[in-house]
Amino acid sequence: MTARFVRPVVLLALAAAGCNPPGKPAPKTIPDRPDALVDFNVLYATHCAGCHGADGTLGPAPPLNDPLFLRIVPDAELVKVLTDGRPGTPMAPFAQAKGGPLTAAQVKVLADGLKTKWGAPPTSAAPDVPAYALTGKGDVENGRMAFAMACASCHGDKGQGGKTGDQPVGAINDPAYLALSSNQVLRRYVITGRADLGMPNYAGKTGRPHNFSALTEQDVADLTALLNSWRSPATK
Amino acid sequence: MKRIITSVGNWFEARLRLKPSVMPLLEHPIPAGAAGPKGWWYVFGSASMTLLFLQIATGIGLALVYVPSADQAYQSLEHLNYRQPFGWFLRSVHYWSGSGMVVMVVIHMTQVFLHGAYKYPRELTWVFGVCLLLLTLGMAFTGQVLRWDADAYWGVGVGASMAGRVPVGGPAVVELLLGGPTIGASTLSRFFALHVFIIPGLLLALVGGHLWLVMTRGISEPPVPGQPVDPKTYDAKYHEELKKGKPFLGDAMTKDGLFSAVVVLVVVALAAVIGPKGPNGLPDPTLTGANPRPDWPFLWLFGLLSLSPAGLETFVMLAFPVVLVIGLLLVPFISNRGERAPSRRPVAVLIVLVGGTTLAVLTYEGMTSPWSPRMSGWSGDPVPVAMVKRSSPLELQGAAVFQLKDCRNCHALDGLGGKRGPDLSSVGARLTRDQLIDQINNGTPGGGNMPAYGKHVRPAEMDAMVAFLVSLRPPGQPPARIATVPAPKK
Repeated sequence: MTARFVRPVVLLALAAAGCNPPGKPAPKTIPDRPDALVDFNVLYATHCAGCHGADGTLGPAPPLNDPLFLRIVPDAELVKVLTDGRPGTPMAPFAQAKGGPLTAAQVKVLADGLKTKWGAPPTSAAPDVPAYALTGKGDVENGRMAFAMACASCHGDKGQGGKTGDQPVGAINDPAYLALSSNQVLRRYVITGRADLGMPNYAGKTGRPHNFSALTEQDVADLTALLNSWRSPATK
Repeated sequence: MKRIITSVGNWFEARLRLKPSVMPLLEHPIPAGAAGPKGWWYVFGSASMTLLFLQIATGIGLALVYVPSADQAYQSLEHLNYRQPFGWFLRSVHYWSGSGMVVMVVIHMTQVFLHGAYKYPRELTWVFGVCLLLLTLGMAFTGQVLRWDADAYWGVGVGASMAGRVPVGGPAVVELLLGGPTIGASTLSRFFALHVFIIPGLLLALVGGHLWLVMTRGISEPPVPGQPVDPKTYDAKYHEELKKGKPFLGDAMTKDGLFSAVVVLVVVALAAVIGPKGPNGLPDPTLTGANPRPDWPFLWLFGLLSLSPAGLETFVMLAFPVVLVIGLLLVPFISNRGERAPSRRPVAVLIVLVGGTTLAVLTYEGMTSPWSPRMSGWSGDPVPVAMVKRSSPLELQGAAVFQLKDCRNCHALDGLGGKRGPDLSSVGARLTRDQLIDQINNGTPGGGNMPAYGKHVRPAEMDAMVAFLVSLRPPGQPPARIATVPAPKK
């Protein structure tokens, strides 16, 4: 009689002591202070995903999950842009020193994490990639020729926009668009394209004439100079 | 086995002589109706008391480890949660049992109100009950403060600011509560003393008084329509009723015990499955990411205060609770006679329905708090991919500006983002370009909900952002236009 009652109770008590009920709090994975957080994924989701997209693509801002971009961009540049932002563009400064939310250590985690997470080792087959940094050597007239060859089929001869198949392509000569874009990002787009939105990179042939050959360092500088020449005088 | 227990019991009884004083209490007659199936209405008070004892037991356990000092309280909670064996379970049971106590007290009160059990001669029992409700809420609030996290810190801050608005005596009340003009080293000690000594002392004393009144004036018989309470004849009638009554020790006590056992089991199950509450973020005022919310018994008040217009704020804060409490205290004096059955008291039923619905809605509003901007929306909520895919370069820049200017903290896109302003996923079909520019520049007319952003947006940013907003339309729908202006020719 007693055994019949005691046995289940003892078993239940043993079970309760041995197993972890779902309510038992798991040790914290997130530190107490937000400035002690150094997990790339959490930092990215909190501070970057809004503009650069949840997985680094298909956001309104330039994609960061782009192996070509991560291959050419210097580490120091990533740190600098994260710290200071890009004045005049929607890229805000994120370092606490500049009024942002992140410590220098967190900036470093993000800058390093971009390359470890989304960067790819350079493939030997890839032709010479133009350098990331801006040069002052572009020529607007040569740029026009390069534009006709590399860009006009989608963006129209003057960058006024056009169509690819049945997809409309927006204008890139719009003064407001250019006012919010640094020459650096224009150069970057010329080199990397926007794979997530179907824009080919400096060597891509999609939508380009059959005799198109990869853009050279000089072509990229010329195209950037051309785009810069379209700015309204006030923002040049 | 049984023989041994009986003989040990007899040995003690021969020396203590408890039976003559305890047995009459246990065997006091209660109305026959309350011993039948309707007796299930009478179980909520004893369940509240059972949870009170559970609170005392778990509370003593917690007090053995908890350090009521501002710089160590948080660490001692983490110690309980992660290192002390079963410490988390103790915290969990204490939280759920406390929540259960608030629930039981409110149900008990509602039942007494609906059954008119507060009428003659039990007015004072009701008054004690109202005080017990307030003390229970006081325990809930001070208990939330002892969970020394961001919610606790800001909860004290809000409570003190409210107290500070009391005319004349405000600053003194704040000083007394916080142990200084601001939250400081002695604040937590004050709340610890309140939670562990002062309020429990009052609570136990009043429970004693409440029970004394229940014993001396008896519990009310289940209400019968058509048998109104008349103070002149009630005592005699109740006396007659008790002659047919049943002893409390028996059916009624079994029901009480059974129900209390179920309640405790539910509390323990919730504690094991859902676990303890918090502690959440550090109680550090320099951490601006805090998003403090009061515990659930106060969410309705949080909702009410947030939703009341600025002009009424002080009234809702100070006068309204006083009016509410006075109203509750006056209930048995406004109607201490007449019908008791809910079927004959439509106003009472209505008060319960309207009051309950109001509390539920305000609690929901307090829980979701759509008026609070979502401060991380601008950098954390991605722009919906479909919008990015169909945007032109200018519109993309506009979307980035939209995020940069914190619009997202109040305005959702595809339901993601703040809820303070309207969701803008299809705003292009509602507002024209000019209307959008006007709205962003000047905000809501008359200093309304939306601030004016004209000074914070450069022309190019405005161009891009409005281009993006105009593009936000359901597929195939043209941009909004003014009805009196002819449509543009294609």
